[in-house]
Amino acid sequence: MSEIEGSKFKVQSSKFEVRDSERLPIIDGELLEVSDNKTIETNQKTELSSANKEQGTEDKGQQTNQQSAIRNYLFLPFIFLTVALLGGLRLSAETSAFLFLKPPLVCLIFASVLLILFFRANLIKLDGWFSESFSTLTNFANASVLLTLFAASAQVFNSLLPESGLPFWTLAFCFFWTLWNNLFADFDVKKLLQSLGGLYGLAFVVKYLILANLTAPASESWIQGLFQNPSKEVFTWILDLPKYSHGTGYIQFFTLIFYLIGLFLLKPQMSLDESGTNQK
Amino acid sequence: MKKNHIQILGIVLTAFYGIFIAWLYWAAPKNLVEVSTKAQTTIENVSSKTQVAIGTYEVDNAKFSEGLDAFRKNNFIVARDNFEKADPEKRDAQTRFYIAYSFYRQGFGKFTSDDALFKKGLEQTNSVIALDKNFKSADENLQLKTPVELKNELEEGLKVTADDFNPLKVLRERK
Repeated sequence: MSEIEGSKFKVQSSKFEVRDSERLPIIDGELLEVSDNKTIETNQKTELSSANKEQGTEDKGQQTNQQSAIRNYLFLPFIFLTVALLGGLRLSAETSAFLFLKPPLVCLIFASVLLILFFRANLIKLDGWFSESFSTLTNFANASVLLTLFAASAQVFNSLLPESGLPFWTLAFCFFWTLWNNLFADFDVKKLLQSLGGLYGLAFVVKYLILANLTAPASESWIQGLFQNPSKEVFTWILDLPKYSHGTGYIQFFTLIFYLIGLFLLKPQMSLDESGTNQK
Repeated sequence: MKKNHIQILGIVLTAFYGIFIAWLYWAAPKNLVEVSTKAQTTIENVSSKTQVAIGTYEVDNAKFSEGLDAFRKNNFIVARDNFEKADPEKRDAQTRFYIAYSFYRQGFGKFTSDDALFKKGLEQTNSVIALDKNFKSADENLQLKTPVELKNELEEGLKVTADDFNPLKVLRERK
């Protein structure tokens, strides 16, 4: 810094004029226009807002990612395992005691075919669930979700198939026929879910409405039933229909609803990128 | 919460829930009360099997003593129940020997022996031999000290021979 003695001098800029008769300190520096300051401020504000936006997008992406992970790895297995628990549960006619029926082998076969169908219709994309680029933990977690889906599918068939006799083999054949045909048909996800909804709905009506109404009441003895409900007694004997409490139908109705909700929530690709969108 | 943590939590919860469902289908409780009782039984079984696996399995001495007291008072049903509780994994030769002996003593008769009890006794004796073929009881009150002697006695009791019609047979004593 230096000093200049003088009576008068002018400092002129584009907008300001400065006069001073006294000693003034001279400051070395660049003169900037007001308009430049505004531009800088505007630029700074723009940068800050864009940074905030990026931060917001990142936070939103993380939040979406977290929500998606909770849905995929906590909620979906819970739904499918609940279906697996309730699918084989029946209530006995006399005491409403729990009866846990293990799924017959044919249910496991149907569940396997159904999973193949899910892959073919792109309800589940194999490379979206399992990949070398994913961590081992992710692959393992996805496999556990798939396992719960398999268990739930097997138990849904266990729920919808009659337990024994002619009705069991008739409905099992119908399921097999439908699944086998579907294996060679071109499906999209929507059509597959509609088809499954229709198939399951029909099977539910057959088992828990038609066959249940053909079953003779458990409270009646054989001779009493023959006089009071001869047709029901005959159908029960011929079709080998088991006698369950009415509560069984209600439990299996909600089991089916849970399963369909689980399928609806299922995503073709489990892994999400940072922004929370599905990876391609 | 990070995605990794959610995945780990999901795997753990899925495993626990899955095991619970598998157990429900295996144990098949008939109501909610039975769920707790069957769970307790399962835990006891698992703990005794774990003890066997890690080599810390021991016979419940208190139950064994109760069984021995009942055995000496000729209360064989209570004795066997206590012996079974003392050795739930059926791994102790001494306990098995007493169970076999209780079948012999309960089935022994002056005129004729109870074949059903003798057959059960024979099965238990064979299990003693399988566990320890050199087993010898230190109990002074037992006349048959080894499983081989007991087995012979049980097999003789099961056979129908001319000696069975000997009237002097009523004089023989229970060993």
